[in-house]
Amino acid sequence: MVFTSINFLLFFPLVAVLYYLTPVKYRWLTLLVVSYFFYINIRPVYALLLAGVTASTYVFTRLMDSTADDVVKKRYMVVNIILILLPLFFFKYFGEINAGVTATLQKFYLRWPLPEIKLLLPVGISFYTFMAIGYTIDVYNEDIKAEKNFGMVALFISFFPLVLSGPIERAKNMLPQFNHTKPVDYGDIVKGMKLMLWGYFMKLVVADRIGLYVDVVFNEVDTQSGTTLLLSSMLYPFQVYADLGGYSLIAIGTAKMLGIEVMQNFKRPFFAVSMAEFWRRWHISLITWITDYVYTPLSFKFRKLGMRGVVLSLLIAFLISGIWHGAALTFVAWGLLQGIFLSMEAVMSKRRKSFEEQYSLGRRWWYILVCCLLTFGLFALSQVFARASSISNACLVLKRIVSSRGGLYLDMTNLLYAFFGLGILLLSEFRDEFFPGKLLVFENKIILVRYTAYLGVFFFILYFGVFNGNRFIYFQF
Amino acid sequence: MERDLLKEKLTEIFRRVFNDDRLEVNDRLTANDVSNWDSLSHMILIGEVEKSLGITFKLKELNKMKNVGDMMDIILTKL
Repeated sequence: MVFTSINFLLFFPLVAVLYYLTPVKYRWLTLLVVSYFFYINIRPVYALLLAGVTASTYVFTRLMDSTADDVVKKRYMVVNIILILLPLFFFKYFGEINAGVTATLQKFYLRWPLPEIKLLLPVGISFYTFMAIGYTIDVYNEDIKAEKNFGMVALFISFFPLVLSGPIERAKNMLPQFNHTKPVDYGDIVKGMKLMLWGYFMKLVVADRIGLYVDVVFNEVDTQSGTTLLLSSMLYPFQVYADLGGYSLIAIGTAKMLGIEVMQNFKRPFFAVSMAEFWRRWHISLITWITDYVYTPLSFKFRKLGMRGVVLSLLIAFLISGIWHGAALTFVAWGLLQGIFLSMEAVMSKRRKSFEEQYSLGRRWWYILVCCLLTFGLFALSQVFARASSISNACLVLKRIVSSRGGLYLDMTNLLYAFFGLGILLLSEFRDEFFPGKLLVFENKIILVRYTAYLGVFFFILYFGVFNGNRFIYFQF
Repeated sequence: MERDLLKEKLTEIFRRVFNDDRLEVNDRLTANDVSNWDSLSHMILIGEVEKSLGITFKLKELNKMKNVGDMMDIILTKL
């Protein structure tokens, strides 16, 4: 059951009614039951894996809480992390690694004795595994106490709005909310619906319309002109943003309608003036997770190396971020590129600051625009590796962009709808970035403006949206 | 070491790390108040504080530092 399916649109209102009819004390139980129903609906057998990760996390966090010995506590933490990473490794990476080793051995005329195993990746495994690891480390660091109620831990890891693609939430935000649910709040329900409506707009109109164009181009890289490949490479970051950003808004809105606050996942990323700022605005839940649980321990370990330690930690952290997306070399290249861009910025940050102060550039609109465009360009360049089917394919795309001209492939209807939707999205973000609180539409005080906007967006989705069941890009991760 | 003396020493280190001669350290100062104080420069700051004061932090202690006041409390237990 995905957010864009009819099943979900029937399922969720029933869940909301059932949830608010349940006595406050047992609402968490209603959420747990519907969360498992939601997940089982996708593929029943994988719910066992979800339950296994939950059981392991529950047992080891409770054991951690029961001892004062730091060495023993650390051992429990490490064992749990290894145990819950095993399924992720097996399902996500085994096939790729097996294929890679087999191919390498064959070059030396050696045959790999294991048969090829093709496994379907349990949807959401990368997300809920990271949530479980985060909770385990938080208990170890004594940021939170281990939850005694097994059902609460199960709900945290399986909460249906987040289980498929995040945001990757933290136990210290979610567990208190599950323990003390809020009474029905009209404001929360309205805000949740607005977020969902905008999320559906981003996904069905912007992401899927762009996707129809980008998919055609990237599936036939050999025959496309450099101009077409350039346009597709520029459009792809917007597609990913509208896809995952739209998904996140639907998830946040769904939770909000149940009175549960979930962290923001994107904050107008294309208005970032540096890569460091970009990563504070893009897939925030993943990057804060990587920062807290990977970058910080690494940079702490390497702190005596000064800036070299920072650079090394950045490279490793983003390499892991790349591998989290997939075992393919394209993701390794994507992660390394991010690490390199951020390292270069970190090394030059003092000089950049002095330069900006010397010429008073910080508030000049043209300087901000140039920085936004440069940041976008670097990100779009790295995204070519994330989108291409292989490293050689990505290199071919870049080579053709630089060397080959030719006509532009135009899918006029799609592109027109896509640019129209994207224009509305970027205009609304421009307003929020530079004129916060001004020219409000969904939040306008005049009821007529508000309802015209809701209906306008609703019919816009119905008329221009793509309803052929396109999956969300991040389901593959 | 007295808290006021520690504050002076930290001010000196903060100015050097963040390249800002006007920076004044106080108990409530956080990363939000200092431009360039982000997750990248934070560990350089920690390294400089350790080197200058001859102490070593634990990772768990770092997680508990919500502002400079917390940092000073932890440092004072080590001097």
